[in-house]
Amino acid sequence: MTLQLQHVTKKYKDFTAVNDLNFTIEKGEIFGLIGQNGAGKTTTFRMILDLQETTAGTITWDGKAVNIINRDVLGYLPEERGIFPTMKVEDQLYFFGELRGMKKAELKKEIDFWINRFELEERRKDKAETLSKGNQQKVQLIASFIHKPQFLILDEPFSGLDPVNKDLLKDAILLLKEQGTTILFSSHQMDNVEELCDHLCLLKRGVSLFSGSLLDLKKQYGKIKLAVRTDWSTTQLLTLEGVKDVRVEKEQTVLTLENESFAQSIFDQLSNGKYIEKFSLDYLTLDEIFKDKVGGNIVEV
Amino acid sequence: MTLLYVGIMSVAVFWSDIKELFTGNEEAQKIAIVNETSADFSEIFVSNEDIKYVQDETNIKDLEKKVKDEKLAAIITISDEKGQLHAEIATFTPLKLNDQSTISSLLQYAGKNYAVQQLALSPEQAAQIMDAQTVISNKNLNEKTIGGKSEEEKQSGLVVSYAVGILIYFFISTFLSMITTEIASEKGSRAMEMLLVSVKPATHFKAKIAGVLLLALTQMGIIAVVFLIYAKFVKDGAVWDMAAGIVKELSVGYVIYAVVFLLLTIILYLIIGALFGSLVSKVEEAGQVLMPAIIITMMGFYVMLSGMGNPDTIFIKIFSYIPLTSGMVMPMRIGATDVGVMVPLISLGILIATIIVAYVFSLSFYKRSVLTYSTGGVIQKIKTVLKVTT
Repeated sequence: MTLQLQHVTKKYKDFTAVNDLNFTIEKGEIFGLIGQNGAGKTTTFRMILDLQETTAGTITWDGKAVNIINRDVLGYLPEERGIFPTMKVEDQLYFFGELRGMKKAELKKEIDFWINRFELEERRKDKAETLSKGNQQKVQLIASFIHKPQFLILDEPFSGLDPVNKDLLKDAILLLKEQGTTILFSSHQMDNVEELCDHLCLLKRGVSLFSGSLLDLKKQYGKIKLAVRTDWSTTQLLTLEGVKDVRVEKEQTVLTLENESFAQSIFDQLSNGKYIEKFSLDYLTLDEIFKDKVGGNIVEV
Repeated sequence: MTLLYVGIMSVAVFWSDIKELFTGNEEAQKIAIVNETSADFSEIFVSNEDIKYVQDETNIKDLEKKVKDEKLAAIITISDEKGQLHAEIATFTPLKLNDQSTISSLLQYAGKNYAVQQLALSPEQAAQIMDAQTVISNKNLNEKTIGGKSEEEKQSGLVVSYAVGILIYFFISTFLSMITTEIASEKGSRAMEMLLVSVKPATHFKAKIAGVLLLALTQMGIIAVVFLIYAKFVKDGAVWDMAAGIVKELSVGYVIYAVVFLLLTIILYLIIGALFGSLVSKVEEAGQVLMPAIIITMMGFYVMLSGMGNPDTIFIKIFSYIPLTSGMVMPMRIGATDVGVMVPLISLGILIATIIVAYVFSLSFYKRSVLTYSTGGVIQKIKTVLKVTT
């Protein structure tokens, strides 16, 4: 039950949307596809869903090409929000469920569960167009996995949700994962990706910059982010050996090191054998790595 | 929509009753006949529900006063001038056009009658003159074709074809815009992507066409059933007899052709409508892509209308072979002109071939266009689709 992309390429007349993409998603895993707008995320999703043909390469689910598998194993939440505006919330979910070959009786159980979980109980009989954008998104989200797909694709599921709803969604994704659903999602909010993903693929203009586990990605850079609270001035800090960059933040100063090994000596010099309030060495956040990889240049490896 | 059709049909069937509702309170017009000749016209001027004739009055003054008081609508004075009948219609307010033409034709008839009476012919001779009519029959010297249609057959063929043409036109425009807006709104509300993950674009395309076609059939079915009920049970089956008479006059073949052309034309337009619907990005643009197809249906409709005057023009012949308009024009040719067996079959063949080609082409194009969102005119949209999917 794995999804495998091998040398997948999508070319249009005058440009290449996706170039030689390779990754594998194991069963029950949450996989993040990250990249800027226009990086080729949606094109990749569409190719996996057989909505667009690949120019080259193969996409297989469980060893079979995606264009011959039963589509009911797939679930998809498109980036563009869209449901039938004049259909009632409940009818909408029944419709999409039945379209996937589910019986009304089993659907009822699922629909009751998810409507309750996403706090839509009161809007159940309302027309979709009368709902707020966030609520519409929740309805669409439920519709995308109401048929219990084995493999679920979520395109920017967090965009437009408030923090409370974001948490609801996160919990739902984790619950689906527990139930054995394999999930592929895209986001440009890195904190969500960092929290949820086991593995990820970083796309830039159709080219994969990294594909693998999140930890591996972080290890590539090493623990080079050092947050300290000190009286030292920026200039003084910059003179320390192995410090590449200094950034003053509200409550702390963040140093970027050339590599992890300089941390010990910096600690010795800053603390000078005395008590120090804050000295914290960590991996870069995904956000920082992302910026570095796709264009920003905070650090170079 | 179906209700609207049923409503229109009801109005047509019950027209005389409805008319009565509006005009029923009006009393019959009273018209006095002053006959100054020796002939008897009382058998010609027979009172009916619209006009009541008052015969054998002589006091002109008295009558004129009645006209001025509007108790009488008119006085018709019939006199003899040099052996010719002369009639004077005196009114206070002018007569209604309908009544006037009724009276005129009665007077014409009376004039003829009077002239015949003057000749002192025997009743048989007189009857022969009055009923004189040229009997025209057609003889076809071309043995390969079946006998030509009589003038009457052609006339009723023309009338029915007109009705069928209008029906086809209405059906086409209704279902064409229905399928286009339907697909456009699914695409515009972005529900399309959710749908297309569940079913393949080709399935969606076929399902849309089948769905709207079934709706069309249901609608036609309901209309047919309501019509049959009306025809059979309203007014002692008068409508039924009339319809049966028309069908008999037109031959069963015509009816079958008309139905086949109607269905095939609807299918062709549905395919085109689905294709156009898949081109737009939002439902507001549906009108824009519908325009060309609507113009073609209107062209067909007006060509058919022009056939009402003369169904034998080269213009009509050409349009009866063009697949998009043949559905409206060909039934008229079959009904109102002498066409061989081959002509409608060729036209039908072209139509079917076009449907197959359009279907195969649309199916492959639909897959590419239905998820492509683009701006600009129809041509621009097609270009974009071709650009981003090849």
